[in-house]
Amino acid sequence: MAIGVVAGIVLAAIVALIGLFKLMWRVAEPNEALVISGSTHKTEGLGQGMGFRIVTGRGTLVLPGVQAVRKLSLDLNETQLSVDCVTHQGIPLRVKGVVIFKVGDDLVSIANAARRFLDQQKMMPERVHIVFAGHLRSIVGGLTVEDMIRDREKLTGQTRMACGTEMEKLGLIVDSLQIHEIEDPTGYIKNLAMPHAAAVQRDARIAQAEANRLATEAEQAAFARMAEATRDSEILQAGYQAERDKAAATARQAGPLSEAAARQEVVVQETRVAELEAHRREQQLQADVRKPADAAAYETRTRAEAERDARISAAQAKARETELAAAAEATRVTTAATADAQAVEARGIASAKATRATGEAEAAATQARGLAEAESAKAKGLAEAEAIKARAAALAENQEAVVAQQLAENWPAIVEAGAGAFGNVEHMVLLNGAEGMSEMFAKALTMGGTGLGVARQLLASMGQAPAPGTPSPAAPPVNGRIPIREE
Amino acid sequence: MGDRGADTDTDMVGMTGRVTGTVGPGLVGEVIVRIRGGAEHFLAHPVAGTGRLAVGTVVTVVEHLPPRTVYVMAAYDN
Repeated sequence: MAIGVVAGIVLAAIVALIGLFKLMWRVAEPNEALVISGSTHKTEGLGQGMGFRIVTGRGTLVLPGVQAVRKLSLDLNETQLSVDCVTHQGIPLRVKGVVIFKVGDDLVSIANAARRFLDQQKMMPERVHIVFAGHLRSIVGGLTVEDMIRDREKLTGQTRMACGTEMEKLGLIVDSLQIHEIEDPTGYIKNLAMPHAAAVQRDARIAQAEANRLATEAEQAAFARMAEATRDSEILQAGYQAERDKAAATARQAGPLSEAAARQEVVVQETRVAELEAHRREQQLQADVRKPADAAAYETRTRAEAERDARISAAQAKARETELAAAAEATRVTTAATADAQAVEARGIASAKATRATGEAEAAATQARGLAEAESAKAKGLAEAEAIKARAAALAENQEAVVAQQLAENWPAIVEAGAGAFGNVEHMVLLNGAEGMSEMFAKALTMGGTGLGVARQLLASMGQAPAPGTPSPAAPPVNGRIPIREE
Repeated sequence: MGDRGADTDTDMVGMTGRVTGTVGPGLVGEVIVRIRGGAEHFLAHPVAGTGRLAVGTVVTVVEHLPPRTVYVMAAYDN
């Protein structure tokens, strides 16, 4: 229990100590300075009469209630400047800028600043603005616009010169003074810039035009080059294409070509084979046919020649034989002919003798016969002549009787002739019977009678002629011969 | 510790810095010096007999007038 109380008291004491320490121990942060006043400290390096202690960047023990601790910010501050001022040339300008400043890090600056601004840290920019506004007016009043624009070094130098020591008094340092803007209500700067701007614009336009020209030239040249390159490329491509096509065609043709070549080779070989075959065949034929044929022909020829020779020999022999035979025959015939001739001669002689004898005999006989016949003919003739003479006399005396007799003698022939007219009739129809028949005959016979009348007239006409032996050339021989043959 | 502030003034002398605003006779220039773990700028004046110091010139602090004024001369005298 007691231990617990002791422990609690100790703990409380520790806590109280810690709390006390916390109250007494103050730490300065990097961006601040502690200004400690109250007890008489030995001052750190600032000599006499300072009366306060400055602590930066570390902790320090402070007696609460005895010492007062104030913080002075070392942070950056800025002040916007907007100052109406007149330049050296009397040109009104409004300068706008910014001042960036801070409390100096050395103890002197901190002490100066602490004395001036410790309770007015918020008002520091305002104060600085006032300081700078006045100084800036004086600075700008000593500069020309051209200087301000062109010679910034001079501006900053002037600013440093005017403000540096001023700020040093306040324990401040100026990190940066920036002039943002110089407003120019009279247009001085603008007009100042105008000739240059115009020149620049002119130069720019010239340069632009030149550049355009060059660019256009380059572009056109490039286009021409491109066209040329395109043309060359197309030409090359066409050439390559042609080569490709050619190669492809060659390749395409290579197959058929080689095939054709192979086929040609095959054909050549086949031709060779065929030739060899033909040659072989020829040789075989020579061997098989021609040689045998030749042999046969030779044989035949030889045989024929032999035969011919034989025949010739035979013929010669035969001729010789015939010749000899003919000679023999001739001899024989001559002999025979001679013999025959002699025989014929002898026979002819004999025959002639016989013929003559026969002829003579026959002639004698014929003569005798002829004589006899002549005698008989003479006698007959005479007799006939007598008869005719008698008939002629009779005719001369009585023609009618002669004619009648002639008629009577020839009547049967006449009737036959008349009946002959009917002989060709196959069927005859007589309308008036037997009477018609006889009438018909009578008419036919009458025709004969008529002929009789004609004969009579002929005779009458010829009766005037003195030669009774030569009546009509036709009738008398007929008349004369008929009785002879009848007799 | 307490002496640091007093030392600071003497410390500044002999430091080198760089001109950021032209230093010359009749001009208030500016130099930037490494100090207190950072870099601070000071208003700068040339010491007597020194000519114009262009921006970028390395200078040596010859004199320090608190709070923020220094007198400088060129660190490398050609």
